[in-house]
Amino acid sequence: MIQLESLTKQYGPTTVVDGVTLAIASGSITVIVGTSGSGKSTLLRMINRLIEPSGGRVLIDGHDTSATPVHLLRRKIGYAIQGHGLFPHRTVGENIATVPRLLGWSAARIQARVDELLRIFQLEPAEFAAKFPHQLSGGQQQRVGVARALAAEPAVLLMDEPFGALDPIIRGKAQQDLLDIQRRFGTTVVLVTHDMDEAFHLGDHVAVMSQGRLLQYDPPALLLTRPADPFVSRLTGTADRSLKLLSLTTAGEAAEPGVGEGPSVPAAASLREVLSDLVWSGATAATVMRSDGTPAGRLTLAGILARGRAG
Amino acid sequence: MRRLGLLLRLAAFSLLVAFLVMPQRFAPLFAPFTEYGAPPIYDQGSLLALAAAHLGTVFLAAAASTVVAVSLGILVTRPSGAEFLPLSRTLVGIGQTFPPVAVLAIAVPLVGFGETPTLIALFAYGLLPIFENTISALQTCPSSVIEAARGMGMSSRQRLLGVELPLAMPLILEGIRLSVVINVGTATIGSTVAAKGLGEVIIAGLLSNNTAFILQGGLVTGLMAMLLYDGMAGLEKRLLRAVHVG
Amino acid sequence: MTPTPPPLHRIDRLGALLGTASIAAVAWLPFVTFKANRIASGTARSLFEVLPFGTALAVAGIVVVVAAAAIGVASPRSRLAAAIVGIAVVALALAAAAADLTPPGNRLVRVSPGVGCWVLLLVQALLATDALARLRPGPGLRVLCLALTGAVLYAAFALGLFDQLSIMREYAVNAGTFAREARQHVLLATGSLGAAVLVGLPLGVLCHKVPRLRAATLQVLNLIQTIPSIALFGILMVPLGALATAAPWARELGVSGIGAAPAVIALFLYALLPVVANATVGLGRVSPAAVDAARGMGLTGRQVLTQIELPLALPVIVTGIRIVLVQNIGLVTVAALIGGGGFGTFVFQGVGQTAIDLVLLGAIPTVVLAFSSAVVLDALVDVMSRAPQ
Repeated sequence: MIQLESLTKQYGPTTVVDGVTLAIASGSITVIVGTSGSGKSTLLRMINRLIEPSGGRVLIDGHDTSATPVHLLRRKIGYAIQGHGLFPHRTVGENIATVPRLLGWSAARIQARVDELLRIFQLEPAEFAAKFPHQLSGGQQQRVGVARALAAEPAVLLMDEPFGALDPIIRGKAQQDLLDIQRRFGTTVVLVTHDMDEAFHLGDHVAVMSQGRLLQYDPPALLLTRPADPFVSRLTGTADRSLKLLSLTTAGEAAEPGVGEGPSVPAAASLREVLSDLVWSGATAATVMRSDGTPAGRLTLAGILARGRAG
Repeated sequence: MRRLGLLLRLAAFSLLVAFLVMPQRFAPLFAPFTEYGAPPIYDQGSLLALAAAHLGTVFLAAAASTVVAVSLGILVTRPSGAEFLPLSRTLVGIGQTFPPVAVLAIAVPLVGFGETPTLIALFAYGLLPIFENTISALQTCPSSVIEAARGMGMSSRQRLLGVELPLAMPLILEGIRLSVVINVGTATIGSTVAAKGLGEVIIAGLLSNNTAFILQGGLVTGLMAMLLYDGMAGLEKRLLRAVHVG
Repeated sequence: MTPTPPPLHRIDRLGALLGTASIAAVAWLPFVTFKANRIASGTARSLFEVLPFGTALAVAGIVVVVAAAAIGVASPRSRLAAAIVGIAVVALALAAAAADLTPPGNRLVRVSPGVGCWVLLLVQALLATDALARLRPGPGLRVLCLALTGAVLYAAFALGLFDQLSIMREYAVNAGTFAREARQHVLLATGSLGAAVLVGLPLGVLCHKVPRLRAATLQVLNLIQTIPSIALFGILMVPLGALATAAPWARELGVSGIGAAPAVIALFLYALLPVVANATVGLGRVSPAAVDAARGMGLTGRQVLTQIELPLALPVIVTGIRIVLVQNIGLVTVAALIGGGGFGTFVFQGVGQTAIDLVLLGAIPTVVLAFSSAVVLDALVDVMSRAPQ
């Protein structure tokens, strides 16, 4: 549980973050979105005190973060940034081992952890541990950046536009990796992005920032159906909001009992994808299949459309 | 802050000119540094004339170096001169490891004592920074700009005069400034081979054990070099502002 | 697309220029200058006047072959080999000429290389340099080449090959002081460099952390650099002289108005600019993302500096040290004027006595020292920059 209590940052007369209060549940993914200059990065960097708040406080599991020396605090919090920030003069293995070494782990434990993380990120340790960052592709560098942030098994992971420098295909893969890893370790993730689709795809909760203030902090669906501010609806975009809403629900969640005659769709597919399938094939219903091949129910065109309606 | 800088420069310049024009007025200042009633102010020639000769030598050599170095720089960066480029680059690198004193000392036996070896040494040594900067400026000209100029149908001569040289100008000017500053110092050493210049005052002080001479020679050349460097940097800025809008 | 075949007999214009120059030097320029004694005026002798006809013809023939290779051979390796052979042959011819012209037991006669000999050596050195520049040898190979050249030269001098040359006569006279001045030269250059690194590196770090300090510091150091060396030596003599008179402890430490003290301080002041400027630039170039990540992961300020910033800035810092060392080796020469010692002693003595060989005895080792330091430190920078950046 991370609690931000009227967190404020001022530089001289300008207020960059203005009294933000929010509570982040343990084991969830919270995405902070906003345009550039909205104060979202500053908000994130106040959590590990890379920026000292001018007012308010941050509690992690009930403990005020200002009570711990900054460098000790940061070693317990994972941190991954855009452009990965890998140390160019250290190998991949040494990069990942940074925080464990600072914490004084034994060499054997560090070795084991580095190998484990590299495998999780589909980088074969024997091949990659001794490489230098510049010998990796952009996607690989980014994965090492996240692996490094997770090295000391932090309960909290802060990510500042971690996928900003990746091309769309690699970015999709990286987002999926993050979801898998978050599920696996139960890490509390706070991620900053300006990409609304990324926020919707990753976030259990989305916090919308503008001009230093927190406009809305809700699950993605509520941002679409009940925007708290005209700025929120502008940011989420109104042209395709019904489709966005459909993309938040999977076929498995929405399936009605019965068997359809149309095409079969996987339970993990979003309603948006199912709708697209139905429009393409000209069918009015689809059968939802579980990953083990058993039918989970059916979806009708009318049923899907009803779920994309406001309210 | 800027005001203070301007004031300091003006003060330094006025002080230098005042001392060169009427050095005797400063005699009480230097008197404590003399012994056994030695003259406190350099008396074997006019300081003003020495300063003029010093600057004359420096600028004559710098002008010659500029013409030769820039032409050579242009030559070796054209496609027809490409064969000379690798050697030119290496030579500039090696040349700069030659101490100016060595250049000067080697010139003496070739042409004898006096102005000529100093001029030759200043010219040769002054070539390096200008040549180096000209080459790297012309080579680092953004290729997109040159492509655009070609695309608009500019001849290679028009490209050189209208695009490449103006873009290279800041670095070339910097090279000339470096060259002049090095020259001021080398010309001072030139006095050991009987070239007319302010080094004479220091050498005379060293030979006759007259600290006042050493001090005034050192201060005058030091001040002159600093003002020259500073003034040329200012001039560069104005010139560049005139060439490039903004 | 068919590749255009390389022209068969392509003429290398650089080679043509240098080759022609070397042939002209053999044909028309004097190979050595002969003097009956140190102060007599010299007479110029051509290659064919000083060597037996057959030998001279062979030397001339080799020079022509090297010139031909420069003009018509494209492979840099062959060109390099030809140039090296050329240099060796000219050097041997020079040694032979000096031996032939010197009557046995005569220690008065002076034989020095003439214009033609210098031109030949220069032209062939240029050819070798050009070939080397095209071959782009790696840092290790460059240092190896330097060491090999050094070893060959050492062997040649140790064998007394050039003992009959005028410059070696000067050396023989000054052999004792030569070693002392050489040591003094190196000490002055490296001592002030060490001090400048000790002071300049922390100052550079400070300038990096405090941008307002940076502009002011660099401006002041820049101005110091513009002061002519001899002027700065002179200015420093005054306060140091006063200090030595006023404080006996300072005098006991060897501080005095003339000699090494003002030289070391002046060199130190000159050295500060490259050290501080390069440290600041190097630290400034370290990727901000890496520093941000390091801080975010909980490295302390000192750990960020010593583990991330300084290692990454090291190649640029060492480049600054290379600039300083080469600059210092040159400037130490001037220190001889104020009694600081070093190779400059020979240069200025030579200038005073109009003895070119004595001048060269000071100037050539200075250049060799500066050049070798540049090669070694350049190689070091190369190795460090090749390590991942």
